[in-house]
Amino acid sequence: MEELRSINRRTFIKQVGGLSGAVALGTLPFQVNAKSKKTKLTILHTNDVHSRIEPFPMDGGKYQGLGGVARRSTLINKIRQEEANLLLLDAGDMFQGTPYFNLFGGKLELDLMTKLGYDAGTFGNHEFDNGLEGLVKYLDHAKFPFLTANYDFKGTVLEGKTQDYTIFHKGGIKIGVFGLGVDIEGLVDPNNFRGMKYQDPIAVSNKIVKVLKEKHRCDLVICLSHLGYQYENDKVSDLVLAAKTADIDLIIGGHTHTFLNEPTLVTNLKGTQTIINQVGFAGINLGRIDFIMEPGSGKKQMSAYTYQVNPSIAESLLA
Amino acid sequence: MNISKQITFIGSIGLASLLIFTGCSKQLYPTQKDFKQYHMSDAIQADPAVVSIYEPFKQKMEAEMNRVIGHAEKALTKEKTAETLMGNFFCEALLWMSEHSAHNPADLAFATKGGIRNDLKAGNITVGHIFEVMPFENSLTIIELKGSQIRQLADYIAMTHGQPIAGMTLTIMGSKAQDIKIKGQPIDDNKLYKLATYDYLANGGDNLTLLTRAVSRVNYPQRMREGLIAYVNELTKAGKPVNAELDGRIKIN
Repeated sequence: MEELRSINRRTFIKQVGGLSGAVALGTLPFQVNAKSKKTKLTILHTNDVHSRIEPFPMDGGKYQGLGGVARRSTLINKIRQEEANLLLLDAGDMFQGTPYFNLFGGKLELDLMTKLGYDAGTFGNHEFDNGLEGLVKYLDHAKFPFLTANYDFKGTVLEGKTQDYTIFHKGGIKIGVFGLGVDIEGLVDPNNFRGMKYQDPIAVSNKIVKVLKEKHRCDLVICLSHLGYQYENDKVSDLVLAAKTADIDLIIGGHTHTFLNEPTLVTNLKGTQTIINQVGFAGINLGRIDFIMEPGSGKKQMSAYTYQVNPSIAESLLA
Repeated sequence: MNISKQITFIGSIGLASLLIFTGCSKQLYPTQKDFKQYHMSDAIQADPAVVSIYEPFKQKMEAEMNRVIGHAEKALTKEKTAETLMGNFFCEALLWMSEHSAHNPADLAFATKGGIRNDLKAGNITVGHIFEVMPFENSLTIIELKGSQIRQLADYIAMTHGQPIAGMTLTIMGSKAQDIKIKGQPIDDNKLYKLATYDYLANGGDNLTLLTRAVSRVNYPQRMREGLIAYVNELTKAGKPVNAELDGRIKIN
């Protein structure tokens, strides 16, 4: 299967080559080489899956036959066998789009995300389609946290049910992940989020990133954003967020259903690069970003940045 | 914890431990990044463990979607014309909902062509067909507008070459509406009229900010989709087909 080929073949063939014994065990990645101080982290991500549990029907539509949570599961299981340090993340709008949501209220979507082993998610505007009561009703079906740093649910039924951020430890890497939601005024019926307060995503990010970097000394900071990739007006988007913050390594975006052929790199306030990625909608694509982490200084990090894009990806998107 | 043993036996954990062992305060930095996107086509097999989770839901969903609730003698279509069968049907349903769901009978009903997402074909009408007409979670809203505001709404209808209405008739003259009647009576600029629509439009969607200036507004929990299903059920119970006529409620001069 073309899609399942390791993307890092060119980069890591050397390390893997020296590890035939370990590879035979089936699950050990290249970084088991104790002489190397490199550690690999794999991020898999979705956004705006919109209750697309089965593939699009074969009805002549643009996306017919694509997507499907059962296929995503197969693929993720395969990658889990290849990579020791993996995070599976979602950037919101899990709900609404097929009658599965209208009939079952989101319970099934959350059960399936739990089965696939999602590590964290955030709320998109459509998560509020059945109101705060509808959202809280099945929230405990998700055995992973929802990160909603700029939504203040104090005094509502959702108070204490979400987190601003969470920290993962993977193979010695400390990863801080936080979540941001779009201003839902005008997107969602006011009755459906009454009592919730929206806070400026940039101010909130600067505060939280500081906590993640300085207090928790995270090696990597990831933002799950449902702000949207880009706007014609001055509304806060992922592009704006990346430029007006520092120390966010990766923004996994959603909301605008943007199909990016490759991630966008934005120079942030610190002069380093923040990666933005978004993979369309409906689970048509699964995004993957691998980081090679090494001890060293920030300076080295900048000069050593390389970015590789698998050419087969662009082809498959054109198809 | 015996760190050196860990290094020997489990490499990946060993690296983590090694970092701790050799002074882990040193921060890690991303020095290389790689990207890939997987296209989820039928080249990837479905995980049967996941299919078995959603299969019972799928069966329930399909049974519900295929449930026949009524019958249409002719197709209710939504063309680009000023007045459409589907638009008339939808707005008659809105008036019915104002009376039967809200117990607050409206004088007129208004929707937009863009909000009605599909036709109803001749033959059996299923729950699934109604989902295609109204996939969104919009709910019934009844607002009060002054006659002068209704006149502005009528101009919007004229400017956009006709929109679904019921309880009102008008004639489009260029970009203006004339000969506006509510329930057969000429419009009175100072009188208050009750208009049935749904929250998206009452919130000013589709550039209808004039609706946000309503004199009063009541939101009802009645979902439009469920209201349409109830309306079709009611017709069927009364032995009536799902139907609509073009009755000249919007004329073009």
